[in-house]
Amino acid sequence: MAGIRTRQRWMMIGLIIIGIIFTAFFGMRAFRAFKKFDGHGHRPPPQGKVETDVELIRDWMTIPFIARTYQVSPEIIFEALNIPPQKDHDKSLKTINDEYFPDQDGFVVSAIKETILANQASLPPTAPQPPTAPAP
Amino acid sequence: MLGALGLPVGASAVLIAAGAFSQQGILSWPSTALIGLAGAILGDMFSFGMGHYAKDAMQRRFGKSPTWRNARISFQKQAGLAIFFTRWLITAIAIPTNLIAGGSGYKFTRFLIYDISGEIMWILLYGGLGYWFGSQWELVYDFISNFGGVLLGLVLFGFGIREVIKRQGKIKKS
Repeated sequence: MAGIRTRQRWMMIGLIIIGIIFTAFFGMRAFRAFKKFDGHGHRPPPQGKVETDVELIRDWMTIPFIARTYQVSPEIIFEALNIPPQKDHDKSLKTINDEYFPDQDGFVVSAIKETILANQASLPPTAPQPPTAPAP
Repeated sequence: MLGALGLPVGASAVLIAAGAFSQQGILSWPSTALIGLAGAILGDMFSFGMGHYAKDAMQRRFGKSPTWRNARISFQKQAGLAIFFTRWLITAIAIPTNLIAGGSGYKFTRFLIYDISGEIMWILLYGGLGYWFGSQWELVYDFISNFGGVLLGLVLFGFGIREVIKRQGKIKKS
């Protein structure tokens, strides 16, 4: 009986210690992940707004997704890469890179970034909004 | 389904990624959700079945132990909540919960109701987060899996403290 009680006591202490270790360890990891989070996903922006930061492009994205996000015609991107648009419509940039440019790691991503930047430079600059007068 | 059987396939990561891929049109969201839900429920049913068929052997081995009987009774009391929350919140202990549910003679239809509710929550929450946060789905998974670990730690800690309080009460009474 005393043996069982001692074993139970050790089990309780063990549970509490493991609980503290788990909470601290995973808590730190969760906090670190939360800090990396910039609060918004890279979804296509709402109607009227255009994403301009090409550094947000990742190799898991597809060309139609990038075209929609950066308001660039997908044909321009396919043309820049010199690949058929119908066949590679749903492929990720990584798959396209592995298929067409296996010896040039990251080529597709950097080529698309350049194409979008060139496209942005060719567009007329938008006029700055005039400051609104403060209400009396 | 493989994840629910205990194989380390990272089912939650796949689901979050599926949400992100549906957002950009690679996958169809309704069919992905339905296939994911069906697979998860099937896997849970398998692991419940494994527990169910091991029930007799476990009963023979531990049946006389009062600790085993107490554990069975207290599981039966809290089983619904345990099944529901381990589907989507503390996923690390989902498979042991299925095995214990099957092994402790928990009613299959009841298990299925809580299981389906929990899995729908899992699909909507994890898939929805992947869909909403798009390219940040890896960070979302990193955060969620670690957050699950925090909750598991808190549950273990809370359980330990509860047992200490119970023990103190018994000592005072005697």
